[in-house]
Amino acid sequence: MADAMNVGVNLEAFSQAISAIQALRSSVTRVFDSLKDGMKNKETLEGREKVFITEFQDNLQSVNRDLNELERLSTLVGRPSESHPLHNSGLLSLDPVQDKTPLYSQLLQAYKWSNKLPSLSRRFIRRGAELPTGFCRFHIKLQYHAGLASSLLNQQSLKRSANQMGASAKRRPKVQPSTLVLPPQYVDDVISRIGRMFPDMSIELFRPNGTSAVLLVTLGKVLKTIVVMRSLFIDRTIVRGFNENVYSEDGKLDIWSKSNYQVFQKVTDHATTALLHYQLPQMPDVVVRSFMTWLRSYIKLFQTPCQRCGKFLQEGLPPTWRDFRTLEAFHDTCRQ
Amino acid sequence: MLNNVLMLLTVILCVLSPLLSVCQVPLAEGKSVQQTIDILHKKLEQLSAVKQGNFTVDCETYHATGNASGQPTKLLYVMHNSETPLSCLALFEGGPCLTADGNFDVLMIKLKSHFQNAKGHKVESRGSRYRYCDFLIKVGAVTMSSSARGISVEVEYCPCVVPGDCWNLMKEFMQSFLGPSIPELPSVFATKPEGLYVPADCVDTMTQYLELFSKVRKQQVLPGTTR
Repeated sequence: MADAMNVGVNLEAFSQAISAIQALRSSVTRVFDSLKDGMKNKETLEGREKVFITEFQDNLQSVNRDLNELERLSTLVGRPSESHPLHNSGLLSLDPVQDKTPLYSQLLQAYKWSNKLPSLSRRFIRRGAELPTGFCRFHIKLQYHAGLASSLLNQQSLKRSANQMGASAKRRPKVQPSTLVLPPQYVDDVISRIGRMFPDMSIELFRPNGTSAVLLVTLGKVLKTIVVMRSLFIDRTIVRGFNENVYSEDGKLDIWSKSNYQVFQKVTDHATTALLHYQLPQMPDVVVRSFMTWLRSYIKLFQTPCQRCGKFLQEGLPPTWRDFRTLEAFHDTCRQ
Repeated sequence: MLNNVLMLLTVILCVLSPLLSVCQVPLAEGKSVQQTIDILHKKLEQLSAVKQGNFTVDCETYHATGNASGQPTKLLYVMHNSETPLSCLALFEGGPCLTADGNFDVLMIKLKSHFQNAKGHKVESRGSRYRYCDFLIKVGAVTMSSSARGISVEVEYCPCVVPGDCWNLMKEFMQSFLGPSIPELPSVFATKPEGLYVPADCVDTMTQYLELFSKVRKQQVLPGTTR
């Protein structure tokens, strides 16, 4: 263990430096000893003082010499390798009682495991249920957890962009897929076409920050939605009431504050679910159209009773959920 | 004095962003105005509504002087609402209305020669304000010259601006704490040119309160045996 850590260290100079430290220590001790002892017994006061001063000077010079020697040796010693993974806790490896307390090896294992965990979990999310073979040899616990996670996530793939993944994470392609880089004019055209499709829905397009479009969708007199896009992919959405202010104090579109009304906070949550649900990496304009069709079903938010319980209100809220396929209205607690 | 009234009619207002409808609901047997209000408060608290302070709506009547003889005196109503404390509303019944700031009262004093204040006719409604999810409910006692004349209940559904959209939703909510006697759709919306599907504003609320207060003024207090 010590060898692995001390690669790059000049061992000879190291031992010399250790003895130099010892010499320095003794010379410093001598200085303080002579001070403590005081003046030696001599015939005249002058003689005593002279002897004392010379002795003191000698001692200080020897300290100086030893210190210089130590400094010279320390430059020769070199730095120990910094590649030990556990930094200070790696010094645990110096503990010779390896069998009784295998702390260092356990610590190393835990560290490597936790390092691998994020990259492995990312791969599971991308690949679905396939377990990379190299990993199976590594840790049984991680395999179990990752299996659980992948089975849960496999129910719905979260891959929204048409990114081609290589066989291993190291060969991540540097080139962006084509659907993420679209000319703004194309985005404008698609949005205006969709806006014309629905007469009771008006869509305004803004570009407050660079090329990302921000849409302000006004649905009849019911609600206003702000949709933040990334090229033609819907990134975020926030829904507010018709009478609420969509602009912040400095005149810009306020894309962060939540609605003041609970019903629209709920609809915002549902809209976020919807934008994750409607996915087609190769045809983002179809996705936007489906999302807008879904959103349009909210024109009768306050007029439609729940399809399941038949009532208008549940805990003070109207049916805020719209089924993704049939667009039927349900209370949040009544769906499924 | 309250106990002498045989059957005090409670007048219910329901405001739907803002929409208000008036209906008459008999009081529970032997209960006074305050007791009925307490019952309503309890029902609201059972629904887990949260009390959020108090409210006041009042209405003063002014007679317009200087009319040609033979014509009925025009009445000007000046109303205040604690929801909009800095404004007041002046309106003629069925006629034009004006939204002004608080200094309008001072102006009316200066216009003493043209408008005379009918002091005995001031009607006001005072009570507590509750919030339940996105609903605002105000339950108040209507008094005229310090005699209680009834109870006003105002229900507002804040997220919706079009009364026609949420009328059924509001009816369902009102049923949950008012019981089966639900008011009908207020006439103020029926008389609008575009009907129910035009956004409502605070003038509609105050018009409804005005209708209510007029009813209260005309109401006869029935003398009768104590119950």
